[in-house]
Amino acid sequence: MKSIPRLLSLLPVAGLMFVAVDAQAQSFRVQCPTSTPFHPDGTNIKCQQIAGGDGYATMGDGSTIYMFGFGPLSGLPDIYKGLPGTELNSVFNTTLGPDTGTPSTLVGMPDGNFAFSTAFNGGPFMGAIGLTDDLGLDPWTGGTVYAVGQTVRTASAVYMASTAGTSGANPPVGTGTISDGTTGLTWAYQGTLLDGHVDPRPIMDVGIMNASQPAPLIAIDEDDELFLTLSNVGMIMRPDLFEQHTVHFHGYPNASAFYDGVPDASVAINIGGSFTYYYLAPDAGTYFWHCHIAPPEHLQMGMVGQIYVRPRQNKVTGNLQAALLKWESAATTPGGIAATPAAITNQTSVTAADWSSFEPLRKRCGGTVTTAAGALVPVDVLCTTPVPPSNAATRTTDANNAAYTTTGGFAYNDGDGSTHYDVEYPIQIHGFDPNFHFVGMTFNPESFNDMKDKYFMLNGRSYPDTVGGHNCAPGGDPLPACQTARAANNVGGVNVVAGPMETQSVDGTPHASQPIPTVINIPKGGHALLRISDLDVSEYQTLATLGIPMRVVGLNARLLRDMAGNNMAYNTNSITLAGGESIDVILDATDPALVTGQKFFLYTPNLDHLSNDAENFGGLMTEVNICSSVDPQTKACTI
Amino acid sequence: MRNMNKKSLLGTGLQCATLALGSLLALGAHAAAPGIAGPSFSLDAAATRISQPNGKYVYAWGYGCDPAATTAPSFLPSNLIGFCNAAQLPGPTLIVKEGATVTVTLTNNLPASAGNTSIIFPGFQVTTTGGSAGLLVQEAPNAATCLTTPGGCNTVTYTFTAKTPGTHSYYSGTQGDLQVEMGLFGALIVLPANPPTNCDGGIAAQNVLAKGPTGEKDFRLAHAAYDHPSSCYDREYLFQFSEMDDNIHTAAEAQVLADQAAKTAGASGCTSPTGCLVVPTEPYVPGYYMVNGRSMPDDMDPNYASMYPNQPYNGNPHMHPGELTLLRIIGQGRWQHPFHEHANHVRVLARDGNLLLSPPDANGNTFPAGPLMFTTTTTPGMTLDGLFYWTGKGLNWDVFGHGYAGDPSKCIPDANGYFTKDPTAINYYEWCGDHNKALEKNPTSPQIAAGGPVTLPDPSIVTNGAWYSGTPYLGPEALARAVGATPIPPSGTVANSPSGEAGYAYMWHSHNEREITTDNVFPGGMMMMMLVDPRAFVIDETN
Repeated sequence: MKSIPRLLSLLPVAGLMFVAVDAQAQSFRVQCPTSTPFHPDGTNIKCQQIAGGDGYATMGDGSTIYMFGFGPLSGLPDIYKGLPGTELNSVFNTTLGPDTGTPSTLVGMPDGNFAFSTAFNGGPFMGAIGLTDDLGLDPWTGGTVYAVGQTVRTASAVYMASTAGTSGANPPVGTGTISDGTTGLTWAYQGTLLDGHVDPRPIMDVGIMNASQPAPLIAIDEDDELFLTLSNVGMIMRPDLFEQHTVHFHGYPNASAFYDGVPDASVAINIGGSFTYYYLAPDAGTYFWHCHIAPPEHLQMGMVGQIYVRPRQNKVTGNLQAALLKWESAATTPGGIAATPAAITNQTSVTAADWSSFEPLRKRCGGTVTTAAGALVPVDVLCTTPVPPSNAATRTTDANNAAYTTTGGFAYNDGDGSTHYDVEYPIQIHGFDPNFHFVGMTFNPESFNDMKDKYFMLNGRSYPDTVGGHNCAPGGDPLPACQTARAANNVGGVNVVAGPMETQSVDGTPHASQPIPTVINIPKGGHALLRISDLDVSEYQTLATLGIPMRVVGLNARLLRDMAGNNMAYNTNSITLAGGESIDVILDATDPALVTGQKFFLYTPNLDHLSNDAENFGGLMTEVNICSSVDPQTKACTI
Repeated sequence: MRNMNKKSLLGTGLQCATLALGSLLALGAHAAAPGIAGPSFSLDAAATRISQPNGKYVYAWGYGCDPAATTAPSFLPSNLIGFCNAAQLPGPTLIVKEGATVTVTLTNNLPASAGNTSIIFPGFQVTTTGGSAGLLVQEAPNAATCLTTPGGCNTVTYTFTAKTPGTHSYYSGTQGDLQVEMGLFGALIVLPANPPTNCDGGIAAQNVLAKGPTGEKDFRLAHAAYDHPSSCYDREYLFQFSEMDDNIHTAAEAQVLADQAAKTAGASGCTSPTGCLVVPTEPYVPGYYMVNGRSMPDDMDPNYASMYPNQPYNGNPHMHPGELTLLRIIGQGRWQHPFHEHANHVRVLARDGNLLLSPPDANGNTFPAGPLMFTTTTTPGMTLDGLFYWTGKGLNWDVFGHGYAGDPSKCIPDANGYFTKDPTAINYYEWCGDHNKALEKNPTSPQIAAGGPVTLPDPSIVTNGAWYSGTPYLGPEALARAVGATPIPPSGTVANSPSGEAGYAYMWHSHNEREITTDNVFPGGMMMMMLVDPRAFVIDETN
């Protein structure tokens, strides 16, 4: 029935030959190269580390719920502030130093103390937890016989032998290809001693029982390379389970099966192991991610997160359509690898030549071709960015030459500025069934047929927690904002400040369980982009606005535009999503009748979802504020 | 073309269930969009049983081919050997040409307790002959209601012109909450009258040539989904989503049997046109979630597999890189199901057989205007036609591991950047922008490109899946270069044989994740694996 024809028969394969093997005789490790073939200068390489495990969260009615989930293992201060924990390689590749103390000072991380204290490595530590000098490598020694590919360390760097033979008198120093003596060997610089080797203790101290809801936020820009390391720390409350975890990049176009996270179709990461997912950022859009092990269980239990890709267009200062056309034009040298033009990495003006050197990455998809029969058909039926009709929009002025605010960005490579926003909000919809979670914490068989969510959440929180913040510990919370509030109030009462919701875990320490608020602050006269994704596993969810219009500009991480380039965006006051869908909505605050200080609601008309289990008034709802200005980074509102 | 006898099948129920459990990784044919050819159809509605992977053999009602019909149905695509029993789930897929006058004669062979039944064809102007009046449409009376009519009365004939090409649904218009739940639904495919000529030339012709080296057969019903030049396709699959609460089925069967027993004992039995069943259809707690009438893993067994005599259609899509694959998707039943297609987006071509097009440009050209979706929601009764492909474009690494010293491979880009120049090449349709780009920094094999960005994990800290060939690379040739003679566990997997297939597997499933279970057990339900297969592997959709 199946045959492999002679034409395609297998090449004879020589016996296995070892050229070189990286030191990897350990289970936990991270990967975050200082340079790659695509980014030889090391720019635009972004990295993140996450833990797969379990933990607790606090529901809208105050009850604590058990979760399977992911927690942060890098970029902790950013995560703590509700921001993406995706860092540049230069930031990720820093070391905290050895873990100390009994109990460890890192347990319960990221807490306010850790995130903002200068006590750790001279400042808020954004790097990879556990990363440490690789002293396990053989030290270079003179007069030793080395084979090609053998890896050694010097006092500050890792080198790989490019030639075989006996080493010379002087250890290799510096980068590039270095000789260790006139009659010695040549060595290829591999990087610093931070080569991905980790000390497992801090990973366990930080990662255990530290799941957050949703999972750590990931954000990248087009043309970035992302190295996402998942370290499986095990689920403490379920010692009976030897659960693997994975990361599925939901919606990634032309995904690789190897990095798709489906355990049946690839590898799944065992407890005590790390795996690094690698992707070149796909076309801009609002994607999301989740574990793909037994999805009905692991998703309901909380292993869901957000990832979005910002468009190249954010880096364009000139005419947007011209830039888009440039990317769409047929390249003459496919297969070439271009270095990142400095003008792009610096996000300054971008010339046509800069873009053409980017072209080989993802070539032409817009436009049409005429077939032999005379029919006009699209070049690529799955084209993401059909070029819009001619217009004059640039990075800072729209087609009518009205000025944009200089902050903010675009949701997509629209070519006409139609997806411009001033401030963006990732919002993930999810639901928890407390009965299922209780069964999931105990060792009982789970019922999928009877699954019924009772908590309905935006970014892991139900109203009013969606607009709430960090409850300062009564005894004096190390978070600077708590100290300020305490000093101002001069009382021992409850102070709520901006920051993550925390939940005390079985280790007795508070963990940042739900770091992302969903307060939507819009500058009057401006636009807010809502990157909404839904990972509910049992029901469809509707979100509606009162008083402020929604404009749907993207669906399933794709610009809403027909293949002729016509804009298919539409205005509405409600959107409905299934689990496994995303939508990009722009809230428009340009109505001159709006007044700063006005408050609107984003809520679900699935009225039974406006509850927190038995408690009425809650659930899938949050507030929209009209401000005179909004900090695009912290999202803080100035009335 | 064998019509199997319903009674004999009931006797083999236990055996079927056992086989189903053992078929998890069965080798087999891959999905197509099989059905029976029109324009005249003799259907009936009858009781039957359907097999579930947990061993249950659930009582159901289905449409099927009328055993009393004088002409046997003819099956499409013609290189599949089909059968059509008196009742099946879903009903027979009816395949007709655009513009044809379609006649469907429906005979009601349902038990007396079920009463009358019917078919509605949403989107078509239907005229009827015979039968008795129903609320939505003329119905086929239950034989029990007209025992004295000479020659039988239990038929109705529906006639309509197949005006709009594309994928359509049909289902019972009588007591829908019960009859559709029991299984009375199916698909109607209307093929375009004038498929555009560009669907036979250019890249479409080149893709046909690429089948030549392996002698792969063509299983398409047509070369275009519509009469539109943007609707060409190289391969097609039909997916019907339905859910089932077997408590309803059990209750219905008990009452049907009680009525038959009463009749045997001398009572008159049910003679009401609306039937005599009192079966609550709420609260609705389904435990079974099916694609084309089967739950995973049964859906990945062949079309017309003998283990599922009343569930002939499978869900087991395969495709080669670059092949435009037409997805015909239908929501049956009463719930919505978000169908998540891993690996790429789907361009929605049409909804309910209506092409979604841009306004005509100055020269009258129109272009697809449907959205790109990675999750295509199936709404009850709604159909969707979409185009899908996978090429690996933009991964930033060569999926064949090319680029090692002495590598003879070539990738000469066409105008769109793909290697389509040589249809006999193993890397036909490779995205040339990524050709020779290494994935691994230091691969263990010298015949895999080195110098890439990543280091693969130590094999001991990961678990390999049944559909994982053992390396990140596509196809047995690349796999052999990567690992040599050393087998990668789980070696010898029959789901995606490393030596024969070594494809890329992607899960296509409902993203209401609890629907990928079968009666509380994961895995199951609305789930299947889609395989992107190397050119060396013959995608064989015969059975």
